[in-house]
Amino acid sequence: MSGRAGRASGTGGAGIWRVARRERSALTAGAVLVALIAFGATSIGGFWSLLNLRSNLVFASFLGIATIGQTLCALIGGLDLSIPFVLGAANVGLVKLMNLGVAPGLGIAIVVGLGALIGAFNGALSNRLQGQSLVVTLGVGNAVLGLVQILVSKSGVAGISGGTIEGKIPPWIVRFSTFNHAFGVAPAVLLWVALIVLTIVVLRTSWFGRSLYALGGNQTAAERVLVSRWWTWMVVFGVSGATAALTGVLLLGYTGSGYAGVGDPYLFTTIAAVLIGGTSLVGGRGGYGLSVLGVLILTVLQTILSGYNLSQAAQEAILGFLILPTVALYARGPHPRMQI
Amino acid sequence: MSETERAFPRFLARQRSLVTPIVLLIVLLIVSAWHGPHLFTSDGLAGAVIGAAPLVLATLGITVIAVAGPAGVDLSVGPVMTFINIAIVLGLPVLGASGSLAVFATAIVLGVLLQAAMGTLIACLRVSTVVVTLAVYLVLDGLNTVILPQPGGTAPDWLGSWSAASSILSPILYVPLGAFVLWTLITASTFFRNIRLMGANDRTAFVSGVPLIPTRIGAHAIAGIFVGIASVMYTGLIGSADPTAGASYTLSAVTALVIGGASLAGGRAKGLGSVVGAIDIWLISYVLSTFNFGLNASYWVEFATGAVLVGALFAGGILAGFSPRGWRQQRG
Repeated sequence: MSGRAGRASGTGGAGIWRVARRERSALTAGAVLVALIAFGATSIGGFWSLLNLRSNLVFASFLGIATIGQTLCALIGGLDLSIPFVLGAANVGLVKLMNLGVAPGLGIAIVVGLGALIGAFNGALSNRLQGQSLVVTLGVGNAVLGLVQILVSKSGVAGISGGTIEGKIPPWIVRFSTFNHAFGVAPAVLLWVALIVLTIVVLRTSWFGRSLYALGGNQTAAERVLVSRWWTWMVVFGVSGATAALTGVLLLGYTGSGYAGVGDPYLFTTIAAVLIGGTSLVGGRGGYGLSVLGVLILTVLQTILSGYNLSQAAQEAILGFLILPTVALYARGPHPRMQI
Repeated sequence: MSETERAFPRFLARQRSLVTPIVLLIVLLIVSAWHGPHLFTSDGLAGAVIGAAPLVLATLGITVIAVAGPAGVDLSVGPVMTFINIAIVLGLPVLGASGSLAVFATAIVLGVLLQAAMGTLIACLRVSTVVVTLAVYLVLDGLNTVILPQPGGTAPDWLGSWSAASSILSPILYVPLGAFVLWTLITASTFFRNIRLMGANDRTAFVSGVPLIPTRIGAHAIAGIFVGIASVMYTGLIGSADPTAGASYTLSAVTALVIGGASLAGGRAKGLGSVVGAIDIWLISYVLSTFNFGLNASYWVEFATGAVLVGALFAGGILAGFSPRGWRQQRG
């Protein structure tokens, strides 16, 4: 990346335009974000209040961590619809484990590990079935959440009712996802920042990260340079399962009780964040930095819409209206005429 | 081998995608005969027909979109049905119309308009089907809840009585049968052949002179007809308007489509497969309801639907992978 930027600056004015053209998605998303923040700050009282900023950052970090997996899947041309189900399953599963007397730290390791395994299964199966990840993850997700709820409801110990499960949540899990005086923000936000850096560095500099772009761009060519499609799909979907489960754990700390439907909004908001940021679902183009912009746009937008007293349902409808123009801007397919 | 001797294996090879749904159907029918024989009474059959009809018709609708491919998964079908359901129950009385003609006309026109709008976006913007239908899913699902926050309203009397039908020799059977006849006529047309060609390979279709944009919009309009009829049956089934059913109908219809053997790569899907797949989905929830799961029933349905979807994908992949070589060569 730095080499390209250096060459661009060397060629003067035309180079700036070339960079602007190449980073069109990031510039558009950045401009939208700035405009939204300006609009929110002028039209909604208390937008700049510390309380609002802090709670916004916490929401953004939940969505942001869940979106890591979705972004990686989109880069290789897949889609993970199992995120909300894995998230909900991890959420209620962890409460059940702790109710059964498993140490919280071990419990978190178990649910995140299981999430990774489920994801890896998603990836392996999707790859075997020519990349039909949409239906595979939908099926696996439903099966997993159904099974976890059946298991959780069994054997008496503070079972599940109506999808909700009560339990004693250790205070450190709660403190991790809520405002904390020691750090100024919730530790979950710091975790997100660390994961942003890690994800972007891995995507940009590591062999594995570049191989995602190779696979998403041209599968046959990638396989010719010895990128293992099978392995990459497994790892990418495994990461997606793990980040979904991790979000489930963080949400448990935030809400204080297990709820199987806690992940429902994340089915479409993770995809929306990826699309609005400018990562193409076809694969090969985009990155996690763009998705972070998408996550921030969605979060600010939700604050503004809530400020106008719009219900959750109305917000959902407006989100849907937003996706189309963004995708029409930079995720259009070529005309068949150009492919002959 | 002479031409007539080879005709039968070739016929079988073409029906291979029907193996999974039909085997599943037989298994489910045996389990129901053993554990829920009520299904085979006149009352039970009528309940089965009205219970399964909305899903069967919705699945037929999205089958056209799967054929038009590539990756033609219509995620919007549930909220579209719910939207039309609300329009029938809350919108039509405002206009003072509740006759069968008005209801069917409204449902079909709305279905065709919504689907054609999506088709236009997909064809003209060249954005993937999944993204457009996802956006429409969000818009309509949100809108439905804004219009009607809680389930309510009552369907016109003649329609509301459908769910109580005790014999299958009533509109609950005639309407789906009429839809099947329509399906047969449509799939026999040249236009549908163009849709298949476009789904299998849009470049070939383009150089063969198939007008891609009108063909895609047409495919969606055909889907809209069936989704519209499905919404009428759905309104008859629940007798009111329910804004919350969208998500589960999308999941069930996509599952039924995949079990029915449709290729999501485009170009290949069978109406019969989709119908049997949808009946399978309904039978799964029926069979599960005959067991005493109490409060856990919905979890079991969720688990079983997901597991069957994965199982069907697995079986489909294995059937495609281990087919005798000769069959594949004959397919060309």
